Amino acid sequence: MTPETKNTLSGVHGRDIKKQDQQRVTDPDGGFYEEIEHTADLALRCGGPDLESFFRSAARGMYHLLGAQASSSHTAGQITVSLTAMDMESLLVDWLGELAYLAERDRLVFGDMTFKTLSATRIEAVLTGSRNHRLDKVIKAVTYHHLNVKKTPEGYAATVVFDV
Amino acid sequence: MDPTQIEQIGPFTYQIPSSWRPDMQAPARILADPAILAAASADRSLEQLVNTACLPGIVQYALAMPDIHQGYGFPIGGVAATAAPDGVISPGGVGYDINCGVRLLGTHLLREEMLPHVDELISAIYAHCPSGVGKGGAIRLKSKELRQVLERGARWALKRGLATETDLERTEGNGCLSGADAGCVSERALERGQDQVGTLGAGNHFIEVDAVAEIFDATAADRMGLVPDGVVVQIHCGSRGLGHQVCTDYVKRFQKTLHTYGLHLPDRELVCAPLSSPEGRDYLAAMTAAANYAFANRQVLTHGIRRSFEEALAGKVANHHVFQVYDIAHNMARIETHRVDGHPRNLCVHRKGATRAFGPGSPELPPVYRDIGQPVLVPGSMGTCSWVLRGTETAMEQTFGSSCHGAGRQMSRTQARKRFKGVTLRQALEHAGIHVRTGSMSGLAEEAPQAYKDVDRVVNVVHEAGIARKVAKLIPLAVIKG
Repeated sequence: MTPETKNTLSGVHGRDIKKQDQQRVTDPDGGFYEEIEHTADLALRCGGPDLESFFRSAARGMYHLLGAQASSSHTAGQITVSLTAMDMESLLVDWLGELAYLAERDRLVFGDMTFKTLSATRIEAVLTGSRNHRLDKVIKAVTYHHLNVKKTPEGYAATVVFDV
Repeated sequence: MDPTQIEQIGPFTYQIPSSWRPDMQAPARILADPAILAAASADRSLEQLVNTACLPGIVQYALAMPDIHQGYGFPIGGVAATAAPDGVISPGGVGYDINCGVRLLGTHLLREEMLPHVDELISAIYAHCPSGVGKGGAIRLKSKELRQVLERGARWALKRGLATETDLERTEGNGCLSGADAGCVSERALERGQDQVGTLGAGNHFIEVDAVAEIFDATAADRMGLVPDGVVVQIHCGSRGLGHQVCTDYVKRFQKTLHTYGLHLPDRELVCAPLSSPEGRDYLAAMTAAANYAFANRQVLTHGIRRSFEEALAGKVANHHVFQVYDIAHNMARIETHRVDGHPRNLCVHRKGATRAFGPGSPELPPVYRDIGQPVLVPGSMGTCSWVLRGTETAMEQTFGSSCHGAGRQMSRTQARKRFKGVTLRQALEHAGIHVRTGSMSGLAEEAPQAYKDVDRVVNVVHEAGIARKVAKLIPLAVIKG
């Protein structure tokens, strides 16, 4: 909705996006994710006290949606991912898109994500993980739909909608 | 949105005026009955339709078909026509699965003749039509041949012996859309397309063996080769990873040029570029290439189905020949000519979860269907019925020649997974006499019939509104879920 909106679509916001009971997962680094309802596709709420935990929790949340078990075992070796984007929302879309692509193409799922560089517009991450032979679903794409990375005193948070 | 505040302008047509929000460029129109409108008001579908009405250069109104449900950017069931010089093209208005669509195949078999062999047939189709997450197929295309697929579509398959001229003639755009340019498709998209032609994929994609339950228009049904109790096959899938990547690439590229063209949008997923811009032209050429890939994909699956009929039925039935009825896209942007205020205009018609429904006389229809109107294929939810309709002149006048594409979801995937178990659902379907093959029980649960609207209700709206007319109703005998 635009800021100048006069007629709000009352009752629309929030009704379709409901928190799932007891589905919130908190990571040791303080990051969290939870699946959010979406009529046609899948949505994820994720966040963290700092950028690293935020990007990590987004990835873990997406793996959860894929039905993949992330592991830090070295069976698939290490991969370095380098991404540059115009803003943090685009960086988040690119990051998750890259991981979804590697999961679909090579069945690679990463439990260990070490960031050598991480800013609002750039990621260089060393990823260690394993090969999942089976994924429950495919993520066709990570969308920009109402995507807004919010910076709060508690850290960073966003809701991401995935096309499945 | 309170549905009582929406103006009813026809028995099955509702309108949100462009004064509703200051950024709307046109009204938003919904084809619905009161129950469908109420359901659409309960999630973000209507807000997404209002957002669609904000697209620069939109002509007349943003439209939603009665299978409207919440998507991202456009609502699913959304139709928007734009026009040069101000008009834009929006990858999000097409969707990531470019030319996701439905193909209907006919047979000369009757249900009674088929029933003893259904299990064997569906097993053969499951073997010949790879399905599931990221599955590759038997064909691995080298770079040169992949480019041929992108530029020649299903016509490429003819040379390979995987298609007939009749198949092509009975495919939207003859299965080969002009204007495709493989050079506008990224290396990653090409790589993803190397081994996925002839594969079903996952999610809501399916192959279903059906029987004709009821005929509503004998002339049109006869023309399509549909008879009471006749066996038919539906294929629902799209352009696979290649198409997903094309959309992803251009949504990203357009984010960077939005400000260059001074475009302001209520949702970044609606990102767009002028039709006349280099970015807009490149996307149209890449989208068209991905659409051709999808036509080729459904064509190779058709070949797999023909092999399966041969394997399972040869010598057991009088005639196991499979012929094409029609193939339509329901995620696409097409440059089309429509009359606006009495004058023909070239428009870019975005259909996201909506199909063409061109009326009788349209020069784009194959001769066999030119006097009855375009076949419109409306698959229902798994285990329920599907519909074959035909396009009308009313659709040409009121909906840019468009109609609905399916039942439309009404329950989230998470809710469906909570409420239904794949194993139980499979048992219930098999108890009802529907044979099921799937690689994912949780995927099966997400596609539970109860997660979808009543397709009969959706079809009644388009029939009563006159934008498509009922031809035949189909009931399932066997289904493969990707």
